[in-house]
Amino acid sequence: MLRVRSPQDLGAGLVFTLIGLAGFYFGTDLTFGTAARMGPGFFPVLLSGLIIAIGLVLALKGVAVEGPPIEPVQLRPISFIVAAILIFGFLIESIGLALTAVLLTIFAAYARPEVKLRETILLGVGLAMFTVLVFVYLLGQALPAWWGR
Amino acid sequence: MEFDLLQNLATGFGAAVSFKNLGFALLGCLLGTLIGVLPGIGPIPTIAMLLPITFGLEPLSSLIMLAGIYYGAQYGGSTTSILVNIPGEAGSIVTCLDGHAMAKQGRAGAALAVAALGSFLAGCVGTVFIAAFGPPLAAIAQEFNSPDYFSLMVLGLVTAVILAHGSVLKAVGMVLVGLLLGLVGTDVNSGLTRYTFGVSELWDGIDFLPLVIGLFGIVEIIRNLEQPTLPRPQFSAKMRDLWPGAKDFSESWRAVLRGTALGSILGILPGGGAVLAAFASYTLEKKIAKDPSRFGKGAIEGVAGPESANNAAAQTSFIPLLTLGLPSNAIMALMMGAMIIQGIQPGSAVMTKRPDLFWGMVASMWIGNLMLLVINLPLIGIWVRLLSVPYRLLYPAILLFCVIGIYGTNTNIAQLVLCAVFAVFGYILLRFGCEPAPLVLGFILGPLMEENLRRSLVISRGDPMVFLERPISAVLLAATVAIVVLIVLPQFRRTREEAFQE
Repeated sequence: MLRVRSPQDLGAGLVFTLIGLAGFYFGTDLTFGTAARMGPGFFPVLLSGLIIAIGLVLALKGVAVEGPPIEPVQLRPISFIVAAILIFGFLIESIGLALTAVLLTIFAAYARPEVKLRETILLGVGLAMFTVLVFVYLLGQALPAWWGR
Repeated sequence: MEFDLLQNLATGFGAAVSFKNLGFALLGCLLGTLIGVLPGIGPIPTIAMLLPITFGLEPLSSLIMLAGIYYGAQYGGSTTSILVNIPGEAGSIVTCLDGHAMAKQGRAGAALAVAALGSFLAGCVGTVFIAAFGPPLAAIAQEFNSPDYFSLMVLGLVTAVILAHGSVLKAVGMVLVGLLLGLVGTDVNSGLTRYTFGVSELWDGIDFLPLVIGLFGIVEIIRNLEQPTLPRPQFSAKMRDLWPGAKDFSESWRAVLRGTALGSILGILPGGGAVLAAFASYTLEKKIAKDPSRFGKGAIEGVAGPESANNAAAQTSFIPLLTLGLPSNAIMALMMGAMIIQGIQPGSAVMTKRPDLFWGMVASMWIGNLMLLVINLPLIGIWVRLLSVPYRLLYPAILLFCVIGIYGTNTNIAQLVLCAVFAVFGYILLRFGCEPAPLVLGFILGPLMEENLRRSLVISRGDPMVFLERPISAVLLAATVAIVVLIVLPQFRRTREEAFQE
């Protein structure tokens, strides 16, 4: 049984190898061409090959050489922050900046424990007023301030 | 020659000094400092977050504002390092060592003032450096052919990788992934789309903004939120007096000059830049000090030297970008991205075809430095108060501005999805010990590298020896090999590790 000595290196190696394989696989659909007449697939396939090589070396290093452990992943911050971004993206057109700003603030706030809901809503309303004023009315960016425009 | 230099600078100041442009420079400096001073946010995320604001402006104004943001962000970073010991980026770690020690002794004002004055002097020298060395370098760049450019990019990427901290192998991997990501979209040569998976938003390639904001801005927020205690300033230091005493001046002016000289030179090197310069200067000051044991306990030279060096290098690292079109570090890659969005392809052509733009930008760097000095120094009190705003109130605001910035530039949901994807991607890679900076360098150079490789091989009818037959290219590749050999040598490797440990 192989023992993982450096989880960071092994992880990075696997990610790189996967990216390289994907690049290679989808790159082979493109014409490779010859060196003198490089096709659209030439450089991508070349790069993918190099990425796979680096990935494999790193993965090998991960089982052969001692290294630092991976810091534990905390799901709460990343999932709430990403959710906040996506919610903003999918709602802004229909309900406008003012409301989405409040929603984003609430979602973002739940990325950490001990949320003070009142404070968060106040912050959200404040940010909403500020951003609507500055970005929509002052800078005239193409953002809807309210629903239905 | 000298006459040219003055005349060129005059052109620059003529273009840059207008009521409007000075306003943008000021605004840039203020915003840059405002974000840069927030604990845990270094210059790269700051610039990434503020990029969208500059898009609506005309090219020169936008570059001027961007330069202001850059200097502001750097200065803001020094302020946080000194006052609360939270370095925003690797380069400021050095400032933390003695700067924060000074703050603890109640000499925060002196440290901040010396940092600002040293930076200003270094900025002035750096500006003259660009004015003096820009044109000759651009003239050399005119001799460059595709193979030379390709080799230059190889050299630049290799040095950038070596000077990055962390594992060299991982940095190489990140550069390559960046290069590959840079190729997504329509291939200019064949008109075919690559790696777009039928998503029409990707036909023009991956947008720069969601990529950098996702990788730097959002990941930064997530990382801060993972800390058990949110970054929170604890300063016992009081701002007794802002101005350094005569003793401080006499102790630091030599360090400022040395740092400026060192930084100016290190900034030009491909792969060099502010971070390297700060480290090198700190090491130098410690080496030549009569009493090295004072360092780390509030030696003013330990602030003056690195702060001057990093600003000088911040200035001169524009030289390879503006003359050769080669960004030497991630910040320059951001600048290049912004220029491309403005329709300017950085390189020697900018200087000949748009002298007002080139010299205007050079002049604006100096103006930016001056603004920092005359406006930010008196405002330190306000920045300090900003530091005491709790992070739980700050990060939703930062996130909202990031998101509006991305969405506001082209009102497309796909960009936000992309940003979220890169945030997750960057987060995972960071967990595996991979820094995102080399990826951005690769990303911005991807299409250029491919194009130059293609052209080189067309000229040589497919013979890769062309890279060794052309003298410029051969020299550049020889330099690359020499550097690679150096890092493989165990002795150098140890020095490098020690340098990053400090």
